[in-house]
Amino acid sequence: MNLLFLVTLFPLLGAVLLACFRRMPVNLAAIIGVGSMGLAALTTAWLGLAFFAADQTPYVQHLWNWVAVGDFRLGFDYRLDGLSLTMLGVITGVGFLIHLFASWYMREDLKDQTGYLYTRFFCYMNLFVFSMLVLVLGDNLMLMFLGWEGVGLCSYLLIGYYYRGEANAWAAFKAFIITRVGDVFLAIGMFLIWVQFGTLDIQTILIEAPSVLAEGALLTEVTALMLLGGAVGKSAQLPLQTWLADAMAGPTPVSALIHAATMVTAGVYLIARTHVLFELAPFTLELVGVIGMVTLLVAGFSALAQTDIKRVLAYSTMSQIGYMFLALGVQAYDAAIFHLMIHAFFKALLFLASGSVIIACHHEQNIFKMGGLAKQIPLAYACFLVGGAALAALPIVTAGFYSKDEILWLSFASGHTVLWLGALFGAFMTSVYTFRMIFVVFHGKANLHAHAPQGIAHHLPLVVLMVLSTFVGALITPPLAGVLPELEIDAGHATQIAVEVLAAIVAIVGVGIAAGLFLGRRRLMTSLVESEQGGRVWRFLHSAFGFDTLYDRLFVKPYLLVARLHRVDWIDALINLFPGLAKLANYGLSASQNGQMRGYAATFVLGATIVVAALVLG
Amino acid sequence: MNLTLTHLFAILPLIIVGITVVVVMLSAAWRRHHFLNATLTVIGLNLALASVVWVYFAGQGAVAPDLASSAVGFPTLVTPLVMIDGYALFYMALILVAALACSTLANAYLEGLDEHREEFYLLLLSSTMGAMLLVSSIHMVSLFLGLELMSVALYGMAAYTFKRRVSLESGIKYMVLSAVASSFLLFGMALLYAAYGTLEFASLGLRLVFEDSVGIWTLIGVGMMVIGLGFKLSIVPFHMWTPDVYEGAPAPVSAFLATVSKVAVFAVLVRFMIMSPTFDTKLHTVIAVLAALSMIVGNLLALGQTNLKRLLGYSSIAHLGYLLSAVVALRAGVTDGGGELSFTGQLVLETTGIYLATYVLTTLGAFGVVTLVSSPSRGQDVAQLHHFRGLFWRRPYLAVILTFMMLSLAGIPMTAGFIGKFYVLALNMNEELWWLAGTVVLGSAIGLYYYLRVMVSLYLAEPGEIQRDAAHDWGQRSGGVMVLIAALLTLLFGIYPQPLIDLVQAASPVGY
Amino acid sequence: MIAQYWAVTIFVLATLALLVFMIGAASVLGGRAWGHEKNTPFESGILGAGSAHIRFSAKFYLVAMLFVIFDIEALYLFAWAVSVREVGWEGLIGAAVFIFILLAGLVYDARMGALDWAPKQRRASGRHESF
Repeated sequence: MNLLFLVTLFPLLGAVLLACFRRMPVNLAAIIGVGSMGLAALTTAWLGLAFFAADQTPYVQHLWNWVAVGDFRLGFDYRLDGLSLTMLGVITGVGFLIHLFASWYMREDLKDQTGYLYTRFFCYMNLFVFSMLVLVLGDNLMLMFLGWEGVGLCSYLLIGYYYRGEANAWAAFKAFIITRVGDVFLAIGMFLIWVQFGTLDIQTILIEAPSVLAEGALLTEVTALMLLGGAVGKSAQLPLQTWLADAMAGPTPVSALIHAATMVTAGVYLIARTHVLFELAPFTLELVGVIGMVTLLVAGFSALAQTDIKRVLAYSTMSQIGYMFLALGVQAYDAAIFHLMIHAFFKALLFLASGSVIIACHHEQNIFKMGGLAKQIPLAYACFLVGGAALAALPIVTAGFYSKDEILWLSFASGHTVLWLGALFGAFMTSVYTFRMIFVVFHGKANLHAHAPQGIAHHLPLVVLMVLSTFVGALITPPLAGVLPELEIDAGHATQIAVEVLAAIVAIVGVGIAAGLFLGRRRLMTSLVESEQGGRVWRFLHSAFGFDTLYDRLFVKPYLLVARLHRVDWIDALINLFPGLAKLANYGLSASQNGQMRGYAATFVLGATIVVAALVLG
Repeated sequence: MNLTLTHLFAILPLIIVGITVVVVMLSAAWRRHHFLNATLTVIGLNLALASVVWVYFAGQGAVAPDLASSAVGFPTLVTPLVMIDGYALFYMALILVAALACSTLANAYLEGLDEHREEFYLLLLSSTMGAMLLVSSIHMVSLFLGLELMSVALYGMAAYTFKRRVSLESGIKYMVLSAVASSFLLFGMALLYAAYGTLEFASLGLRLVFEDSVGIWTLIGVGMMVIGLGFKLSIVPFHMWTPDVYEGAPAPVSAFLATVSKVAVFAVLVRFMIMSPTFDTKLHTVIAVLAALSMIVGNLLALGQTNLKRLLGYSSIAHLGYLLSAVVALRAGVTDGGGELSFTGQLVLETTGIYLATYVLTTLGAFGVVTLVSSPSRGQDVAQLHHFRGLFWRRPYLAVILTFMMLSLAGIPMTAGFIGKFYVLALNMNEELWWLAGTVVLGSAIGLYYYLRVMVSLYLAEPGEIQRDAAHDWGQRSGGVMVLIAALLTLLFGIYPQPLIDLVQAASPVGY
Repeated sequence: MIAQYWAVTIFVLATLALLVFMIGAASVLGGRAWGHEKNTPFESGILGAGSAHIRFSAKFYLVAMLFVIFDIEALYLFAWAVSVREVGWEGLIGAAVFIFILLAGLVYDARMGALDWAPKQRRASGRHESF
């Protein structure tokens, strides 16, 4: 158990090595980048065994004192319990597979590039993993915040990885700034917690919360709301969701790791970690569920109208995280975390497969320019089928079915009928847009020639994730018993089966509709989109409900206006008064230095006279 | 009092410098050889420096019989005029170091002159001797003698490259104005003599202490002495000569003027104020106002300055202003009533010593770079800021050193200048001279602007600019080495000032 | 303050008053004559020849200075001469050092050509370097 620090040390070491010796050969960089992740994953496996052997008792490792100012003490402490172990497994396990895939992908991607891009990529990726691990292992809010900001930084760096394209740089800015808005809320939340608890130690806060905070009081609500603000920003939920789709500007493995499997779920982790605070703030808790539902619907609709394969997946990610939030909102924490884990498997699979498709199609990302790829790249097709089925939660065989239907069932059983209906509709949407994508990409007329990717680094991650996305993945049960409370429900077994069957039917119907609309010649859809009304709707959905335009009008424009007003910085002008005065005095005094000796002598004698007069008369 | 060998031994540094003067003069008369004379000078100064150290350590053990009271040091009174104590020896050492540095700089600088290079060392040595006499004087006569010996030689040095009109002009200006100042000083002394019938600091102090209220003539006398000495220190409003002389004089002379003459005069001023304390609020208020004026006016004048030598001149006005606040702190005397040095007195002495030492180091470095970059064979001294533009890209070491010196002058931490400024502020705080401390801060803030401006221009690159370079072998030249040592010492004392503090603490004046 | 030093004040004022009186009275009482000749310098009735701005050779000043220096410094020897018995050997050594320094100065002056009357250019052979 005391090897816990190693799991963060390996990625950090990797990042430092890659940063220091950026001229290293590509192969070595791959070995360091992937190897450090492999070691971290092995360490995690060892930790998992030790954790279960020790009867799932939480373990805290104190590394050193981080801050000690007066009473204010912060340790650099890691905490391993069921929740962080689950996250650890996802981050290092899926992370390792994605790194492995990336070693292949980036080599293909950077074929024509010069410079040390390859080392840079793995440096950022390792740094990201380190930050993410600190985030989930940190035993106090400050340490968590360190990781929180670290992943934000790495996300920024990796979205803007192809910084020579201007759009990519803007996308990176957008992601960084919008998540920053959330981070400010989180910081305020931490301040509020510090004020009320006098500590930032998470466990202490959770234990003392019922006695310190009054249930439903304004301050309690505000505190929880601030934490929610942080979570919403990081997890791309409404109203801070707009950055995620643009974040697809980064390399595809980055999208898989950061913007699907790990970082965007940090918000879910945060709320689950501090669930006690939310339980004391019923309004906010309700809001979590509502945000989740609205997001999953908005994202689902938006995904329907996307043409970029990665953007479809991005919106599906938003909607799946919406499910997790919904689960959190109905206090089904373990269902949320379970879905988080399963989602990491199949969404990583989908992103990696899409990366494979993109490389195979020579960097083509528009799904309508693909088509009929099923025969050319069967492995990617298989991946998409399995991953898509899991995403759409097709019954029995997929992992997604078990996790998502648990959420649906628990939201129904806990009496949140509206949320349940929304989620059910979302499930329908999910299967429609997922299979729309699959049908458009892999079926129909072949528009371009794709070459099938080769290599173990490409195949292995896909196959492993494919297996995990089937019901096999659902056999893994996160050890959350001691960390998160279980939702108590009093509905019968028969009802549960009825609800689950309903969900399954909805999913299958969705697939059917997608097949009807997008298999074959898609005449109906074409005419729909080409009609005036239909076109308008399509554009509306394509722009994801016009949030970007709305925010542009509401915030960016007024902000720029204020900035423009401040171009004639009056505060600065006020301050510039003093340099102006100094300059004026300088002119006046310099005039006295005219080089005339009689003037100097006169000044001397005058000064002396004044001094003597002051002494005599003063 | 008879002169014994003990006394001669005590004034060994003075004697050695005196002998060197004669030797260099004869050598110059025998054969005009620049290198030979420069070498003789450097040897003489080094011997004198060694003798200072020797006298100090030898004196530690054998306490002279007539003044056996002190705990540290070995004060030796040589005639009523000269007192060799730790204080005198410390400042002598400082002066000798500065003189050595100036002569190495001059060596590099004079290479460019066609003729009469040797007499410069003669003047430099004489001036150094005057400065050394000044810091060890405890008598009005030796004060005046030392001051004039130092100054008269300096006039010659300022006008040394007389074919350059500005140099000649600066020499004449300095001489005439200096004469005015000296007359004030003399008149002040005369008034004090008229009032008390003594010229010795100590007996003057005794009389002053037993007086209920200070008489008006005493006040005027002390005031006039402060005016006379204030001129040499270029305290506002007696500062007008400074920029012109600094600009016109050859760069090594400006360095000498900015270091040796300031150190010597300030040291004797502090000694005078300690030994003959005038407990009068008016006098100290006036001095405080002069200090504040110097800080503000000096820094303000430097703001728009484009000539580096003038800029350093203005900067020296401001620095002496900071330092003068140490004299203000002497308003309550330095003893705690029992004849022991009070905390304030200790702090004043430490501030003076440390500030002067760091200021000397930094100024030598700054003027050193200016000297190395300029050369008289090219006509004007190269001191315009645009000549230094982009120096970093041509002479990175010189530029870095100059940058560092500017930082030190600005009092940025990690440099020796910071330690000095810190002491000044600490002293002002301790004395509760709040407004003076505020003025120090204000002055430093203004000062930062022009120091930074110099630094910035070093790193700009301006194509098509006339390239003024140091000779390519500057690093081999002794001047380059000297500048480098100054920079390293500035860094060292900035990070680890303890040796310097120990040194200054050991250098207390007689009686304390 | 002024009351305390009334004597000085009166002295200063009296001096000023006397000066004002002397100049004022002379200008009021004295007769005046105007004319061109009044502006020429009075040289005991002899007309001045040429301008008074004659450039003397710097040698005059140099010699004058050397005279003053060595003459004044020789004065110190008188002090030693009258007390030669009292100060004994120490005095002799001191005086010897003093004389030696003077002598060194003289040697230097001679070598520098300060004692040569004619400028360097007019001498047939430049035996000495000088500046």
